[in-house]
Amino acid sequence: MKKALQILFILSIFFPIAFLLLLSLGRNWPYPELLPQSLSLENWEFLQKSDSKLLQTFFLSLGISILVATVTTALAFITSKHIALSKYRNKLMLLAYIPYVLSPVILAATLHFFFIYAGISGNVSGVLLAQFFIAYPFGVIILNNFWNHKTRAIEELSKTLGSSSWQTFKNVLLPISKNALLLCFFQTFLVSWFEFGLTNLIGVGSVQTLTVRVFSFVNEANIFYAALASCLLILPPMILIWINKRYIFATETVI
Amino acid sequence: MEPLLHIDNITKSFGSETVLHNVSFMLQEHEVLSVLGKSGSGKTTLLKILAGLEKEDDGTISLSRKRMNDTPPNKRNIVYLYQEPLLFPHLNVSENIAFGLKIRKQSPDVIKTKVEHMLAEIGLEEHAEKMPHQLSGGQRQRVSFARALIIEPKVLLLDEPFGALDAETRVQMQELFKKLSKKMKLTSIFITHDLKEALTMGDHIGKIELGHFKRYESKQDFYDDVDSGAQQEAAFWKQFN
Repeated sequence: MKKALQILFILSIFFPIAFLLLLSLGRNWPYPELLPQSLSLENWEFLQKSDSKLLQTFFLSLGISILVATVTTALAFITSKHIALSKYRNKLMLLAYIPYVLSPVILAATLHFFFIYAGISGNVSGVLLAQFFIAYPFGVIILNNFWNHKTRAIEELSKTLGSSSWQTFKNVLLPISKNALLLCFFQTFLVSWFEFGLTNLIGVGSVQTLTVRVFSFVNEANIFYAALASCLLILPPMILIWINKRYIFATETVI
Repeated sequence: MEPLLHIDNITKSFGSETVLHNVSFMLQEHEVLSVLGKSGSGKTTLLKILAGLEKEDDGTISLSRKRMNDTPPNKRNIVYLYQEPLLFPHLNVSENIAFGLKIRKQSPDVIKTKVEHMLAEIGLEEHAEKMPHQLSGGQRQRVSFARALIIEPKVLLLDEPFGALDAETRVQMQELFKKLSKKMKLTSIFITHDLKEALTMGDHIGKIELGHFKRYESKQDFYDDVDSGAQQEAAFWKQFN
């Protein structure tokens, strides 16, 4: 039974990936055939065509997501500490949930006027800022639990042993928070990477991330290119999952 | 003789609640002062103020005749030890003990010699490479002591350090602390709610109750004070004779 469940679990992960890969290689798939009539690398050559801009889109998305995740993780680390030490901790944490209660698209629609007014609607900086509005509260929520009574006591102990604030941060807080920071980075990267509604609204078609391109291909009923773009889309999350399993869970620090 | 630590009229409130009322006492060099106090009596707040981790509302703290009120915790050379050993989870036993020396940028050779010596003192030479989660509660507390003692603090503040240990380990730790305290001529304040432990560990006894501090001249004084609880404790054990 356990073995069957394991196989089912592995299939549930690998079947969609294998199917996407198959579709990305497919040509000519008339109804009611179960599979495409022919397979070739022709779709993948689309990546190299200068007018496709799919590779550029991939790297643009990667850049945006890495930047959003890095800035969010750094700021959320500092913010979550101040919130954890505040006597208004619970009230401030409620604020962090507002973007999700409203939903990102509604938040974007609400803020769109200000983006236009600031002249950042339809450019990369606007998309970066919009995604940051969504990822930042999420980062604070993830890191908030790290700042518990024990972490604070360890920080204080380090200071009475002679460490300055910087030494405490470098020698104690950073190493013990490594897993929480990586988790926050990965999660906020994924929030940014798969973000569609908000990016589409603020990007107004001028800034096309990979997720937006996948939806464009789907809307055009171009399933082969949609599959090809999806293959690129799932690549970074898969690498992150592998890193997560290989380096984080394997070296989990026991506090 | 000039006292090492001089606490004068320390007052502290949290909101409308005053947790320390004009606390004053002195601590001589190489003296161990046991302080008895129940939960919520203000003892932890007092230690945190002395360590620089909390700011007093009023009063003066002097160490070697130097006013310390505005000195940050890392410059006071007063180490505050929690009830929990709180070892740094990413460092092994040796690295934990060496922490304060590395911060002080001592040479690797000096650090190595001192750490080895300290490991021998606490009887954990065999466990030098172990990580904190591989140690027992008593072993962790030993490492925590060693990490504090290796930097030769002017004052060691111990906040119920053996409170979480079982009875047998607790006695072992009390003996180890007494041995090290005598050998290294420690000056310390030892907080406990255990009357017997206070009498065993301290050269002198103090008591903190609802933010008011009282220091007894001698252990006899402490015993004679009906409110100290010592007579009731003695009477309890006498009934079995």
